[in-house]
Amino acid sequence: MFGNRDFIYLTDHCVNSDRLYSFVRFKVKNYGSCEATSGLTSSLAFTPEQMSVVTDSPVHSSNSDDFIAFLDAELGASSPESSPDKEAENEDELESVRIKRHKIESTEETEGSTSEGIMKQNLETSTKVDVCTHPGSFGSMCIRCGQQLDGKSGVTFGYIHKGLRLHDEEISRLRNTDMKSLLCRKKLYLVLDLDHTLLNSTLLAHLSSEESYLLNQTDSLRDISKGSLFKLDYMHMMTKLRPFVRSFLKEATEMFEMYIYTMGDRPYALEMAKLLDPQGEYFNAKVISRDDGTQKHQKGLDVVLGQESAVLILDDTEHAWVKHKDNLILMERYHFFASSCRQFGFNCKSLAELRNDEDETDGALAKILKVLKQVHCTFFDKHQEDDLINRDVRQVLSSVRSEVLSGCVIVFSRIFHGALPSLRKMAEQMGATCLAEVDPSVTHVVATDVGTEKSRWAVKENKFLVHPRWIEAANYFWEKQPEENFIIKKKQ
Amino acid sequence: MFFHIVLERNMQLHPRYFGRNLRDNLVSKLMKDVEGTCSGRHGFVVAVTGIENIGKGLIRDGTGFVTFPVKYQCVVFRPFKGEILEAVVTMVNKMGFFAEAGPVQIFVSNHLIPDDMEFQSGDMPNYTTSDGSVKIQKDSEVRLKIIGTRVDATEIFCIGTIKDDFLGVINDPATV
Ligand SMILES: [Zn+2]
Repeated sequence: MFGNRDFIYLTDHCVNSDRLYSFVRFKVKNYGSCEATSGLTSSLAFTPEQMSVVTDSPVHSSNSDDFIAFLDAELGASSPESSPDKEAENEDELESVRIKRHKIESTEETEGSTSEGIMKQNLETSTKVDVCTHPGSFGSMCIRCGQQLDGKSGVTFGYIHKGLRLHDEEISRLRNTDMKSLLCRKKLYLVLDLDHTLLNSTLLAHLSSEESYLLNQTDSLRDISKGSLFKLDYMHMMTKLRPFVRSFLKEATEMFEMYIYTMGDRPYALEMAKLLDPQGEYFNAKVISRDDGTQKHQKGLDVVLGQESAVLILDDTEHAWVKHKDNLILMERYHFFASSCRQFGFNCKSLAELRNDEDETDGALAKILKVLKQVHCTFFDKHQEDDLINRDVRQVLSSVRSEVLSGCVIVFSRIFHGALPSLRKMAEQMGATCLAEVDPSVTHVVATDVGTEKSRWAVKENKFLVHPRWIEAANYFWEKQPEENFIIKKKQ
Repeated sequence: MFFHIVLERNMQLHPRYFGRNLRDNLVSKLMKDVEGTCSGRHGFVVAVTGIENIGKGLIRDGTGFVTFPVKYQCVVFRPFKGEILEAVVTMVNKMGFFAEAGPVQIFVSNHLIPDDMEFQSGDMPNYTTSDGSVKIQKDSEVRLKIIGTRVDATEIFCIGTIKDDFLGVINDPATV
């Protein structure tokens, strides 16, 4: 973003003072490199006219203190008239208030007849200066009045520009104005995690021997938009984009303003953004990395400039979003590489080792895109156009979720105690009814063992007997899964 | 604003550079060392334009390095509060826009953008007047006024405004 300085343009520079006026115009290519700047010396021809300031002024001195003192004196002398911007001169303003007050007092003293009412009025008008609230800072200067601030207060927005901080009121002001234009465009916000959600990365050194064939199959970094497997030598990494991700982003951008939010560091995040968005059409300055968050090991929406009631989050890690669970759509993890499987304690072969991959048209991202479309469509339902601003996407999300298992009546049998509460909660959020004991209304018995009393009852009564993964799968895919795929295997 | 000033610097030179090209070596090292650097007092050193005087070298005990006091002329660039600058827009977002004038990074917050210009998001975010005649987006050239400056060791930050007469886009075909 800011590293790109292959073309820099310095142009007419003048100051609001009659005496100081320098006029130099040149264009420089490859400004950053030493050779180029040195080369510039010869192309610059300074005639005495152009540098008139220099030749007949005390600037032409090696004493830097003289130089600065001269400038400050010159600019200081001219600034009050030349700067009609009241806010810019906060100190001067206070000074003038003091002077005015002094004047009023002195007129009262001399004339003695000035009525107190008028004096008060005078004071009020003179103090009713628009005092800047310092809504934020850039390089420790107020973004509104330019005054030096201590620079420690407010939320940092390093992902937009280092040194940019905003205060809470300013953030909510920005959110409010943005919300209106967003809803006009029929859009919501979507915060996307990178690893295991949109892609999978591994260090080259961690590739297993069965995966080494991938090294010959990587796609060219010259034409990123056509590839899905990339070798990033300078980061010693290989990255595989999740199947369907390009179509996903293309369709999602019609419905959402998208952010990337990753626990990876900033260089990694930007590199991945480049792979996902080579044209820069989706994530313009909206890539948030762990370096930009306000809390360690937590992701928060405080650095996202969007109203929480309009944000959806796609992430594979629920506990990263403690404060925003209601905004979260939990993703099934994408493990393409063996190192990624190992990291999560799976001992199975990786997709890469099996020379397999998720289905392009029926994989996790394709399924979640359907959910996003449904939520978006429900949110912008025609009948409620007037009070869009009061709608809450979290409620829409939860109502869509509660359709998934609606009508199912579930009894759990011999489920590991630690797992039961979360399974039950999951099932209930998806609209299922959970009972403690079997009765005729029960539709599903969820168990890990066919031998339990309830399991045998299910078989006898011709009810569905399924593994707990049936619930987890429904939770990931937002769709009731075919029961026959989750039959419990008999224990040997 | 640009200034042509004389600065002084003590240059340390390795003995291997002594000989016929001593002066040339000193000058090229000087350029490498100072061009592109920043100081809070003088601002950004754009280019060395000439050597005023090279003093007598002082041999350092033990190392053989020689220190030469060099007086040189150079063009420096330092922005001032109240100055009008022309800059190239580098990024536009809902908070305002960032612009660069050479080494100077300027932020113009949306408080300091005229009220009739509204933010439009999309793949080319911009600020546009309601009639669409004026548009600020990436790579636009704008004339702005500096209302705050901070000069660091390597960077210069400024707060700018375009909320004043004769400020704003200057390269837009519609306004020329
Ligand atoms: Zn302020």
